[in-house]
Amino acid sequence: MAASVLIACGLNEQKLPGFVHISEESNVDGSFLISCILGQRLRISNAGTLLVCLQHHYQHYFNAGMRLGYNSNIFLGKTLNVIDVLSDMARQGLNSKWLRSPNGLTLTEQLAEDIRAQLANNYANRSSYTILIDNLSILFNLGASKLQVQQFCQALADLAKEHENLTVITKLSNSDIHQLTDNNVAKLGHVRIQVLRLKSGVFREVDGKLLIERVLDEGRYACEESRKEVLYKVNDRNVKIFNPGEIGVKV
Amino acid sequence: MLSNLIVTNQKVVLIIDQLNRERIALRFIDSLLHEQGESDEVKSLPIGTQLKHVASFETLLNECSNSSNNNNNISKTNSTEPITKSGCNIILPTLADLLCYQTPAYIFDFLNRLRRSEHVRRVFLWASPQYLQHPDADYILAGCEYLAELVLRLETDTTLSLITRKPGGGVSNKRFTCQVSKTEFQVTPLTDATDASASAAALKIQDDGVPASDPGGTFKIELDEDEVVARNALTLPYERINEATEGNIIYTPDADDDFDDEDPDEDLLI
Repeated sequence: MAASVLIACGLNEQKLPGFVHISEESNVDGSFLISCILGQRLRISNAGTLLVCLQHHYQHYFNAGMRLGYNSNIFLGKTLNVIDVLSDMARQGLNSKWLRSPNGLTLTEQLAEDIRAQLANNYANRSSYTILIDNLSILFNLGASKLQVQQFCQALADLAKEHENLTVITKLSNSDIHQLTDNNVAKLGHVRIQVLRLKSGVFREVDGKLLIERVLDEGRYACEESRKEVLYKVNDRNVKIFNPGEIGVKV
Repeated sequence: MLSNLIVTNQKVVLIIDQLNRERIALRFIDSLLHEQGESDEVKSLPIGTQLKHVASFETLLNECSNSSNNNNNISKTNSTEPITKSGCNIILPTLADLLCYQTPAYIFDFLNRLRRSEHVRRVFLWASPQYLQHPDADYILAGCEYLAELVLRLETDTTLSLITRKPGGGVSNKRFTCQVSKTEFQVTPLTDATDASASAAALKIQDDGVPASDPGGTFKIELDEDEVVARNALTLPYERINEATEGNIIYTPDADDDFDDEDPDEDLLI
């Protein structure tokens, strides 16, 4: 259902790079990538996954997964763990720990603590572990500063360096105003996937463009990088991928 | 090589990267020092979340003074060996990373302490404007430029500029072309490149017989083919007067003229 998009992004392997960042341009939605990656990680036996829900609550990812052909509830509490910030806030209101900063911790510090706790409980039992965070820009809406978000991502990158089989996947909607934060998060990893809108406007057969940048080798004075561009279309039950120029207006 | 220009007597070196090389910043600087045989005494701060601890900064300063004292003791015991270099080279984390954990005031203070320390030979700081998200990033970068004695600006993939401030007060600003590969960074002064293009132009004149444009001239003296044709086609006012072949006097009488048809000199029998 979503294998082609993962192959195009180079995320179909069992072992993923330590840090992967998805940049989302204004007016496009890259949430389908999170659902695709989640499905792929859940299919690998004994691979642990931690989903940090910031943009949508867990039920959204479950519904999206059902459409893409997997049932995330089967794995919930086993190989899948969830930090559902939105649902917690909805249930507990102002008493939620995400809103009242217990122990003097900021929102991002609290989130980092929870992620570390989940990692400590589950990492040792799993062959590999993936942390999926969707979406960092919601932290701005919840009151975090740009500096706090950058420090939070730096802490995640340090975790990925400390643990050999750990992958951190972040997504950030830069909304054309968080470009600098976006750059700073992207430089922590070797793979950056940019979800871009079509420059020419709206087209019913293509939703947007994926620009996949991968650092192949870091030299002493220059990096060897690969750049790949594909077009995508999110359908009801799958995601289609096209090469640029493959699809066009039929006269 | 770039390292010949960067690893000099200037103590504070600022590298402003307008490209996208921030991720290899530390390796880049380390390679420059390695090329100049100064990779032995290199110290750097821990990167990442460790930068939030002020103690890391103090430890670095202490390490510098300790290692410098040890070197002095060793050189005193081996007094036959000449003392050539003192102090250590310090590679700071990138300015974006520093600003992520410390205030600009603390960074400037620390930079100043390193600059004044006699145990420090050189300090390297890397700044990429496209990664600086501090609201006053422009001022902070300008402040770093003010403190630096050597400012390398990586402008494009093929050009860079180098501002050097000498202790006597002299300032030089030179531009270079560069060729970068993964393992080499070759530079050529831009003036040499101009000379080379001038000699190439001279060769072209010899080969084609048509003068090429002079790259060093202020004015454009040579004409191209179209301009020569246009110039030849143009008739200037003084040339129009010369066009007349006979010396006829053309007189157009006014309305009030009393024109006599008879020859007034008829009776003279000329």
